[in-house]
Amino acid sequence: MAGMIVRRLIQFPIILLCIYTITFVLAWLLPGNPLEHEGRRPAPEVEQAMLAQYNLDSPGRFYVSYLKNATGVSYLQGDSDRIFNFGPSLQYKDWTVNELIAGTLPVSILLGLASIILALIIGIAAGVVGAAKPGSLADLATLLVALVGISLPTFVIGTALLIVFAVKLSWFRVGSWGSLGDLVLPAITLSLPYAAYIARLCRMGMIDVLGEDYIRTARAKGVPEVRVHLHHALKVAFLPVLSYLGPATAAVMTGSFVVEKVFNVPGIGQHFVESVRNKDLFLIMGVVLTYSSMLVMFNLAVDVLYRWVDPRIESEG
Amino acid sequence: MIKLLVPVIALFGLMTVVFLLDRPEAPADLVFVNRGECHTLDPQRMSWMQDFRMANALYEGLVRWNNDTFAIEPGVAESWDVSDDRLTYTFHLRDTAKWSNQDPVTAHDFVYSWKRALYPDAAADYTDLFYKIEGGEDFFKFRQAQLEQFRQQVSELSNGDEAARLELARQLYEEAEAKFDEIVALKAVNDYTLTFTLANPTPYMLDLCAFGVFCPVHPPTVEQYVSLDPLSGMINQEHGWTKPPSIVTNGPYVLTRWRYKRDMRLERNPHYWNLPAVKAKSVLSLSVEEPSTAVLAFETGTIDWLSDVSGVDYRPDMLAQARRYLERHATRYAQLESQDLGYGEIMATLAAETPPGPDERNNIHAFPAFGTYFYNFNCQESLPDGRPNPFFDPRVRRAFAMAIDKSDLVTRVTRLNQPIASTFIPPGSIPGYHSPAGLGHDPDQSRTLLAEAGWELTEKTGTLIKSSNGEPFPMVEILYSTGQDHEDIAQAIAFMWENELGITASLVGKESKTFGEDVKHHKFMISRANWFGDYGDPTTFLDLFRSTNQNNDRAFANDWFDQRMHEIDRELDEEQRTRLCEEAERFIVEEQLPLIPLFHRITVYMYEPDQLHHIATHPRLVQYLWELEAVH
Repeated sequence: MAGMIVRRLIQFPIILLCIYTITFVLAWLLPGNPLEHEGRRPAPEVEQAMLAQYNLDSPGRFYVSYLKNATGVSYLQGDSDRIFNFGPSLQYKDWTVNELIAGTLPVSILLGLASIILALIIGIAAGVVGAAKPGSLADLATLLVALVGISLPTFVIGTALLIVFAVKLSWFRVGSWGSLGDLVLPAITLSLPYAAYIARLCRMGMIDVLGEDYIRTARAKGVPEVRVHLHHALKVAFLPVLSYLGPATAAVMTGSFVVEKVFNVPGIGQHFVESVRNKDLFLIMGVVLTYSSMLVMFNLAVDVLYRWVDPRIESEG
Repeated sequence: MIKLLVPVIALFGLMTVVFLLDRPEAPADLVFVNRGECHTLDPQRMSWMQDFRMANALYEGLVRWNNDTFAIEPGVAESWDVSDDRLTYTFHLRDTAKWSNQDPVTAHDFVYSWKRALYPDAAADYTDLFYKIEGGEDFFKFRQAQLEQFRQQVSELSNGDEAARLELARQLYEEAEAKFDEIVALKAVNDYTLTFTLANPTPYMLDLCAFGVFCPVHPPTVEQYVSLDPLSGMINQEHGWTKPPSIVTNGPYVLTRWRYKRDMRLERNPHYWNLPAVKAKSVLSLSVEEPSTAVLAFETGTIDWLSDVSGVDYRPDMLAQARRYLERHATRYAQLESQDLGYGEIMATLAAETPPGPDERNNIHAFPAFGTYFYNFNCQESLPDGRPNPFFDPRVRRAFAMAIDKSDLVTRVTRLNQPIASTFIPPGSIPGYHSPAGLGHDPDQSRTLLAEAGWELTEKTGTLIKSSNGEPFPMVEILYSTGQDHEDIAQAIAFMWENELGITASLVGKESKTFGEDVKHHKFMISRANWFGDYGDPTTFLDLFRSTNQNNDRAFANDWFDQRMHEIDRELDEEQRTRLCEEAERFIVEEQLPLIPLFHRITVYMYEPDQLHHIATHPRLVQYLWELEAVH
């Protein structure tokens, strides 16, 4: 296991460098001038000076200086006071990309964690109930909920929840962020598609496992049915859910543009869309590097967890 | 089983910790949603309307506007003198003006701030407004040449020699500072007297002095964030000083919190000299990006003022409900109006007398703004692909302008009933300025003009062809940026032209940044555009048509017009100058038509008329936050 972790950690910077380079090329090729916006245009010599401020007049210089700043090389050389310096935001001049990510990532992590917990609870409960009596009314009901969760776009679910629970019933505030109540609706909205997926994974796993010999043995021994399901079967049926949990947690924690928009959640998801729209190179690179690091780390965490939960899996697997 | 619970419990614990770090706080006197997230609170680098709104709340310039009449009122300056040749301005600063850390606001602070704007190192959109000061442009170019010199000299130095590079940068910087004092006619005579001399008489200079980019910054605070960059030789400006607790301001409010795309909290500045004028003790500016969410939040009563309702497709329906309400009370409205009450007071009175009925509303308000929506013609002799450009001929441009039924556009396409435009400058927005009539909707006249220009409509096929050789009129390409109702408008106009003039039109929609680049480099035949005036003078619109202007997207070049603008620059008599401006605009909107004005822009606000007072309705729509009063 230690070997696996070391190997993965060595791969880590290489993967990030590839992602950085590909993203840089794509972002640089984006058509349009990042400093351009509708309305008044600065004098040509002023515009030239503006591009020069940010190294936007030379892709080579930008690539190297950004890489040095973002990876800590500049810090080691004493040119930067931050280890990972993602530079300024072109669009929001008063903020550095570090500040933007630091301000929004915790919000997304919070919302993401709430959603993934909710998704696990809903998903596993629905999966277990569904698998207990396949084809029963309860199973069909969970199937229906899962279908709705997967197929309805989040902006529809979100807006509907907002109108019913916030506007009509006044249970929650609209467009605010700062109290526990503000977390409820966005977390439900964000969790539904994941819950649906987990429910299907869990149900399939359970049905497979319930046909195994050791379950029949357990039943023959007189183990109560509830215990058979929850203790014996779920433990194994949970494994596919666990492997899904890594990428799902990374995805859910890096925010959802749509859910953030509908509920006005100040999370990081907006940057993925807005930075590209604004051609804000520093921000594009910053969020992509952050997201990829998180994704790699979560996958590693899940692999470690996987081996811990199910020792049958070889470290080499 | 326990093992399975571990990750869930760990996630839950993590969540609790993160949540505890984030806590709510007391409500503010005035809660509003700005037009969008602020880009910067550094006044010299501002260019967005929402930033200027905050600048007016946090800083105070030499003077400020009366936002109903746009007369100039004292700000930090108590009084001022203008020389007879209208070139030299002397401001007398009040000694009671204080920064939020109690430092006095001095003339030196203004010199420092305006000088920042003239350094290419901190180049910003409005830098060239400071060129109006004698020597300003020369200084900018001097410093730019210096930076170029630095780049060349540094390439000769060895790479590791940072000390030498820094020394060179410092030397150049000191030279630049000396040069500024030598050539730029901006001086602090003493702590409370500021004087500058202009390159040309600029009758709207006082209006500019009230504009956000002319606000002062607190030099000792800013200096802590400034350093010389050994790589470029430029002054490197970190922006941490614009955020609390570092930020020091001299206006009605201080900034106590700024969370990106979340909120900004302002508290009354206890050291502001005119404290009694400041209505709301605290202001919360909420960031709500999604328009529908903002409207819903307003409906649930958490917001006093929604300063820009756009991007919701039910906006025309809400405005229709507002119209129904006003129609029902038309007589009473007129009666109140005759008592010299303004819109705000009338609406508040009406709200108290009769609240809106079903399918009516009185909390959405559309105000004419200081801007125009228009279509650009590419006025170059040939199109980007080298073909001859039919729109090089002003008669063809006039013909295309007259074939558009603008009232149809605002009633059936945008459904917002914007004031239709036949001039570029919104009529009534600049005191003393009389707008020309412009061209009306007249398809017959269009066809006559086209015939004069050598294009005739064939009887048989109904298409427009060249009289001399029967060649069809080139396919007319309309370039627009995707989003909002630009596509609908383009479609409607294409249809009108095809119908009336027998041409074929194609629509080219592009994402906004690409669109902007194409327009700037004149890579279009016809493109949609928008312009908002910056200051209260016709030249804020007319400058666009100077052949050398950086915003001359149309590549319009006309010697008579350039000459006329030059005369306007030199004219000392204000009355005569206004007449020259009127004549210049008439030439543009009645003869040359490098653009087709379509409609004047409106801004839509939401607020309860009996709960928010003192919203200004002058087309420039400058709302001073300190003047607004919310009643809860």
